[in-house]
Amino acid sequence: MSGAAAPFPSADWFDALVLGATADQAAIERLGTAELRFGMEFVLADGSDAFYGLVLDGYDIDAVGPTTEEAFGPEVVISGPLAAWEEMTGWIAANGPADSAHSLNGLSIAGIPFVIRAPDAMGSDKFYRFMGTLQAVFDAGVPGASGAATPVGAGQA
Amino acid sequence: MSLGLDLSYLERSARGEFDLGWLRDTDSEWGVRAVPSKTGLTLRDIEIGSYGKVPDHAPLRTMAPRGSDVEPDVPDMGYTINDKSEVWADNLLDLYEEAVSRQWSATRDIAWSQLVPLDPDVEHAMCQLATVLSEVEMVAADFPAKWLWRINHDFVEAKMFLCTQVMDEARHTEVFRKRALANGGGLGRATAVVERFLQLILDAESYDEGSALMHLLGEGIVLSLFRAGAALSPSPVEQQIFRLCMQDEARHVAYGTMHLRYRLERDPSVAEDFHAYLDQGEEIIAMIFSTPEIVEPTAILAAGSVEAACELGAAAGDVLRRQIVGDYLKRCAHAGLDRRGRLHLPDAIIEGVPGAVAEVVA
Repeated sequence: MSGAAAPFPSADWFDALVLGATADQAAIERLGTAELRFGMEFVLADGSDAFYGLVLDGYDIDAVGPTTEEAFGPEVVISGPLAAWEEMTGWIAANGPADSAHSLNGLSIAGIPFVIRAPDAMGSDKFYRFMGTLQAVFDAGVPGASGAATPVGAGQA
Repeated sequence: MSLGLDLSYLERSARGEFDLGWLRDTDSEWGVRAVPSKTGLTLRDIEIGSYGKVPDHAPLRTMAPRGSDVEPDVPDMGYTINDKSEVWADNLLDLYEEAVSRQWSATRDIAWSQLVPLDPDVEHAMCQLATVLSEVEMVAADFPAKWLWRINHDFVEAKMFLCTQVMDEARHTEVFRKRALANGGGLGRATAVVERFLQLILDAESYDEGSALMHLLGEGIVLSLFRAGAALSPSPVEQQIFRLCMQDEARHVAYGTMHLRYRLERDPSVAEDFHAYLDQGEEIIAMIFSTPEIVEPTAILAAGSVEAACELGAAAGDVLRRQIVGDYLKRCAHAGLDRRGRLHLPDAIIEGVPGAVAEVVA
């Protein structure tokens, strides 16, 4: 994958993520349409942070950033230490689709290490409504990952 | 009953003397050309002209499509829900499209052959949870089905969305029944307290009452259970089951929240009615929080074994408890119904939940 060497997080890394996730467009379309502005906050060791966004628009997926939360206007944000993000993406790159412990849901459900925040209840509920698509983006798109885009439609494979 | 068969028309039309009144003399809007958006021709795309205007009160009680040219002697279908605010939500059209687009199959889309043997106690816990979920999910099909035929056809988009919910819940009942029977376990115990909550929903005297109890309260809890299930899954198979169900359930909750908001914005005087419905529902929910058949399987799945769950005690279920109550309060607030300080839940359940207790203003 062309973006495999891009630093994380960076615009190049997220471009590679989207490229990888949409390489099998049919797999994305089997997941169904999605409408979401999904923010991702990376808290660095020195307390500063970096912010990127994913825009799910029908069957399209676009990466935005680096940007700010204010400029992006997310409906929901997942925030966590950079080290936890690196652990998650590293695990997926090495092992394929995230297991429960390395999924966006698993890492955020207890509020540690990831926190979900949203301006209102509709935003956090959208995180649940499009969880399959969001996880598929990472499972299939993380540079170096070899996982299938989605188990939906995978049947008994 | 005479259906008004016009034998003379049969003779005239056989001679080629067509009526053509439907072609030359119609009052419906003509010349409409809806343009597909990039995912296809959506309900939003056809919300145009007079066809996009949904009346606050339905003028007729017929199955005639909204916007059609309706003959004056159509029969009365006896609909009892004839006000838009009783069923509408601003996100309804999008939720319908989302529901149709994101359907899945419990037969085809779950990799059943990849189930792995589990520790017997963990398998038992998963089967007990699957039993409860297979039990509760069907009420969320029964309730909309019970009310669908009473909803005026002018609000057909609401009816269509509720139809998607019926299909979603059938699939949830199916997938959890299949999970219970697919890995060497079987169905567990069905409890009276759960049945009492389901009865409360099914016997609701109004759509308002049932929707608040089901879409907002009951499905909100189940949504949290699905989220927890996905995070605690012993294998990718269960993770996929819970994740797919979570997506569906979140749509239903999104409808319930935004429906209540729409309802309260148009008639704030009904807020106390909704408080009363939820008072009653929360009392039963409090009993569910102390039902071993629900609490203990979740704790065992979270901890990994009976022994580990016993060591953790209440801590094993704390995350789920806080999430259920916290998300519920946020949804109520978004709908415009402040339940803080009014919850009919014991302190042990709301402990540690931000905003669960109304702040005292000095």
